[in-house]
Amino acid sequence: MTMSSQSNKVVVIGGGIQGCATAFFLAKRGQNVTLIEKDRIGRHASGVNAGGVRRLGRDILEIPLSLAAMDIWQNLYQEIGEYAEDFHPCFYLKVAVDEAGRELGLMRATNLREAGFKHEVWVEDDVIQTRLPHLSTPTHGGLIVEGDGWATPWRIVQGFANAAKKNGAKIIEDCYVKSLTQSQGLWQIQTPKGIYEAETVVNCAGAWAADIARSADDYIFPLESFAPMLVVTERRPKILPAVMGVLSHTLSLKQLKTGQFVIGGGVRSKANHLINKSDVDLPKLSSSMKLASKLFPEIENAQVIRCWSGIEGYMPDELPIIGRGRQHGLFHGFGFSAHGFQLGPGVGEALADLVMGQQPRISLEAFRPNRFMS
Amino acid sequence: MSSNQHFDLAIIGAGPAGMSAAVEASKNNLKVLVLDDQPAVGGQVYRQIDRNYPKNKELFFLGEDYWLGKKLVDDFKHSSTELLSESRVWQITQDKHIFFSRKGLAHQVQADYILISTGATERPMPIPGWTLPGVMSVGGAQTLLKSNNSGADGAVFAGSGPLFYLTIWQYLNAGFKVGAVIDTAPGRLSWSHFLWALPALLQLSLLLRGLRWKSHIRKNTKYFSEVRSVSISGQSAAKSVSFIDKYGEKKKLNTSHVFLHQGVVPNVNLTMATGLKHYWCPRQLCWHPETNIYGESSLEGIFVAGDGSGIAGASAAILAGKTAAKRIVQYSRRPPIFITWLSKLKRYKHVAARPFLDNLFRPPKEWRVPLEDETIVCRCEGLKKTDISSAISLGVTGPNQLKSFCRAGMGRCQGRMCGLTIQQMIADNNNLPEKDIGYFRLRPPIRPLTVGELASLADDNVLAK
Repeated sequence: MTMSSQSNKVVVIGGGIQGCATAFFLAKRGQNVTLIEKDRIGRHASGVNAGGVRRLGRDILEIPLSLAAMDIWQNLYQEIGEYAEDFHPCFYLKVAVDEAGRELGLMRATNLREAGFKHEVWVEDDVIQTRLPHLSTPTHGGLIVEGDGWATPWRIVQGFANAAKKNGAKIIEDCYVKSLTQSQGLWQIQTPKGIYEAETVVNCAGAWAADIARSADDYIFPLESFAPMLVVTERRPKILPAVMGVLSHTLSLKQLKTGQFVIGGGVRSKANHLINKSDVDLPKLSSSMKLASKLFPEIENAQVIRCWSGIEGYMPDELPIIGRGRQHGLFHGFGFSAHGFQLGPGVGEALADLVMGQQPRISLEAFRPNRFMS
Repeated sequence: MSSNQHFDLAIIGAGPAGMSAAVEASKNNLKVLVLDDQPAVGGQVYRQIDRNYPKNKELFFLGEDYWLGKKLVDDFKHSSTELLSESRVWQITQDKHIFFSRKGLAHQVQADYILISTGATERPMPIPGWTLPGVMSVGGAQTLLKSNNSGADGAVFAGSGPLFYLTIWQYLNAGFKVGAVIDTAPGRLSWSHFLWALPALLQLSLLLRGLRWKSHIRKNTKYFSEVRSVSISGQSAAKSVSFIDKYGEKKKLNTSHVFLHQGVVPNVNLTMATGLKHYWCPRQLCWHPETNIYGESSLEGIFVAGDGSGIAGASAAILAGKTAAKRIVQYSRRPPIFITWLSKLKRYKHVAARPFLDNLFRPPKEWRVPLEDETIVCRCEGLKKTDISSAISLGVTGPNQLKSFCRAGMGRCQGRMCGLTIQQMIADNNNLPEKDIGYFRLRPPIRPLTVGELASLADDNVLAK
């Protein structure tokens, strides 16, 4: 079966947040876009991550992109309609529980101020205690960003997919890429549902993106798969109005509207993207649990009702790959190393700019795809 | 217990299969640990037998089959097995580390071999009012009877299956008044029933016992057969049961206690979460872990025995536990083919009647998927049938995808209450066989675990200031 008669100008590979946002911005600007997804929209890391919408704690190279993305988050309703209701801005606080954390945080605050960033600032314990009256322990201060928050990740991805569809994009699920080859200036994308042709391909295939690049004879990317884990507890009275982290420890903690706590924070389990398999290994989360119950003793007796993980692609420097590939007409946006959810809308906009030959409003230099080539 | 102790064999569940495996393995000098989540060994079938035995005259009504378990429990107690009661296993890793909670703390042990013998669980019967206070499962009613000799006078039993008749028979003999028995088994028998009845004759005594229970129940209770459309009503608790009898007449009985039952299915939460392969058994309408006659699963060194690997009853479970233990003792030697055949033959006389019973008591769809839109299906999230069917109609192809659409199966029971119903609903909507729909992806913790218990595994110096 072939569909070579259907020539698509742009094919986006991957139905996660990056792919869906890219397809949305391209479609919104009138491009002929088809998004193909090997499983279903938001099935992997994009749909099941912690949903943190944070500028806090970003690598300084990533901040401009994160700020640009936040502009879109703040006006999300205009872009994806009612799905935007699943974004809950509040404030994000990363506290120091020891001297090491305080030192780290103060140094960061200085660096940010010197670089001219004003969104993330240092606050002392008295401020933290007022903002978090249920906190049971004094802190050594912390970093705060007002307006950061969290979202239901699957809903947001679905929102971008739907908005892309409304703007004319085609979305094909259960359609994996067998091979990606170029002939006479056109990309041929072989799938079980037929061959798609495109002038431009955007590779947003997450943990699978290096395989796509290899098939296209593009750069060899040192991408590795892991499965970041999260747990959710039973419902408890509301005590936590912010998303929280702890400086120099692995913890992310928030309380959903239902009263359930979601606890995670960078602890990874094994994943094998080739067979779509991710493990959960609860004992690895024990330190995060200990921290969470120290901050809020109310959490200690809460029952853990579920643990899950998603398959995510990690780069050695934990910075994403965003930009033009080695092959003509191929662009990449992947390798977000478990902190790409908030960046998604910004990445989508930037990739749409690149595809259409325009200059993105922020520099993508730090994310250039060839940075691992000798 | 000291952390990370090592055992030759760790057994999860001290029912008939687990106990008999422990006896056999420790007889062969294996260092055996049994983790059981109850305060006393015996599993569901021999629950509290040790405590009840001295009163066996007074508690005669629990039946000969129950008292047979005493010998097994004694053998188990006299073996060198280490038993940790009230241990809730919530994760097994593929390199055979077992994590469990006990008395507020989490522990881990490691074993060369693991036998999972976590038995069966009752198939939920989602009918209108099944979540009202005063309604519980027949198995739950039997547990109360065995643990405290307590029961509810005037209770109505609705359902069918061997455990259904046994429990009513025990209830009557214990001196409780049974309000009524509403038998939901379809009356019409097909050729396949008669065909399977032939091998079942090998377990004639079992069949005769069943017939005796049933005739006793017919004589001593208000008994309704071939009943349809059962529903329970009441504002804040069960007040009455309504149904249509076999003559098409509407009936309503007042009662504050209703006990429901539609047979039992393997408790696959641990085997699935551990990553063992499972297959759909169309005859028993449930998932079974893939095992061979020795109980070896798809993961090297992990065994499954007893009802947890397919419903076959206590005597088959005792044999299965023993067979698995023997295999583990001689693990390095592959058993010759004739031993395998001999094991199969030995097992056959304990399971010959099973296909007949499975067919006879196969729950019709009416008792597995509610007929009414307003009936609750997912108890944890409070989702009605209509909530779930409208989510399914958005193009859902499997239970895991459904979670994102309506949160079904995302509560604390991990889908134990709604999994099979939801699987059937998706199969019906998509016109596919149940086996193609798959099941919820089950993940640790598969038993209740608090944040504090999990935190107890962490190094104490994680927060050193």
